Amino acid sequence: MNRQTQTFNELDRVIHEPGRLMIVALLFAVDRSDFLYLQHETEMNKGTLSSHLSRLEEAGYVEVLKTYLGKVPQTQLRLTEAGRAAFQQYRKKLKKAL
Amino acid sequence: MDQVESLLKRPMAYDNIDGVGELSIGFMFLSFALLGWLQVHTPEHSIWNRMYVLFIWVGLMILVITLGSKAIKKYVTYPRTGFVKYRTRDTIGPLIVVLIIAFGVSALAATGLFLATRSRWNLMPALPFGLLIAASYAFGIGRTVRWKWAVAVSMLLGSMMIAVLPARLTGILASGSWVTTMFRAESIGAYLLCAMLYGVVFLISGGVSFGLYLRHTQAPGGQ
Repeated sequence: MNRQTQTFNELDRVIHEPGRLMIVALLFAVDRSDFLYLQHETEMNKGTLSSHLSRLEEAGYVEVLKTYLGKVPQTQLRLTEAGRAAFQQYRKKLKKAL
Repeated sequence: MDQVESLLKRPMAYDNIDGVGELSIGFMFLSFALLGWLQVHTPEHSIWNRMYVLFIWVGLMILVITLGSKAIKKYVTYPRTGFVKYRTRDTIGPLIVVLIIAFGVSALAATGLFLATRSRWNLMPALPFGLLIAASYAFGIGRTVRWKWAVAVSMLLGSMMIAVLPARLTGILASGSWVTTMFRAESIGAYLLCAMLYGVVFLISGGVSFGLYLRHTQAPGGQ
């Protein structure tokens, strides 16, 4: 196995999936956002986005916060420290592999 | 990899998706133009030429901009395309840059005005103003939305037009004012024209963005 293939194999599979990669990259650039923002930016439907967020939450990369914006209930999402570190590591490895 | 990097820039571009940033800047320029007009066309010792009025004016302007932007975000943008809270370092950093640019613009304007009163190069303030604002705009907003390049170009062309206008034309705006004992009327006129030009251009651009945003987005039924 050459070094490039090895680096590709080392990529974090949770983040490497295109849909989840979009979510993590968008959340990486902000402090937090709501579900609607991610839906607007990724153009995913609610079911797909929820399923990706659940997977990221299971991995400990995303934190789900239930809050209120005024009187309206809102689901806010934030990348955890582990999520930030994993994404930075992913970028580093991807750059190396390319 | 490039796609990942471009995704990282999208949240910052989202901040002006509704044109509110530009509307705020346009309002700011027009406020300064109006205050400048009042200062020039009222007697030297009138209330408009007191230092504390300037502070009250700027305070009110900041209040209107802050509350207005928050209201539009809360009632229009967030329900349509979602809420984003930026990281402190991403908001403090640009704020410092904006303050440095504002300071630079003021220093340039002051230098230009000073030079203009001392030499025959009467309309000096318009050119550095125009270059700086068009370049900042192209860098900050033109990169993310392609048609905004036309706005940057129009600001630059407008500034150049003001710079080459005959001195007697720009001078009309401040003729007979007490300010002309300190500065040339044509320099003051050029400053007022620049502030009005940028205010109107920013308001039009922000208004078009806001209109397009309303046209192409709608609030979903609920989460």
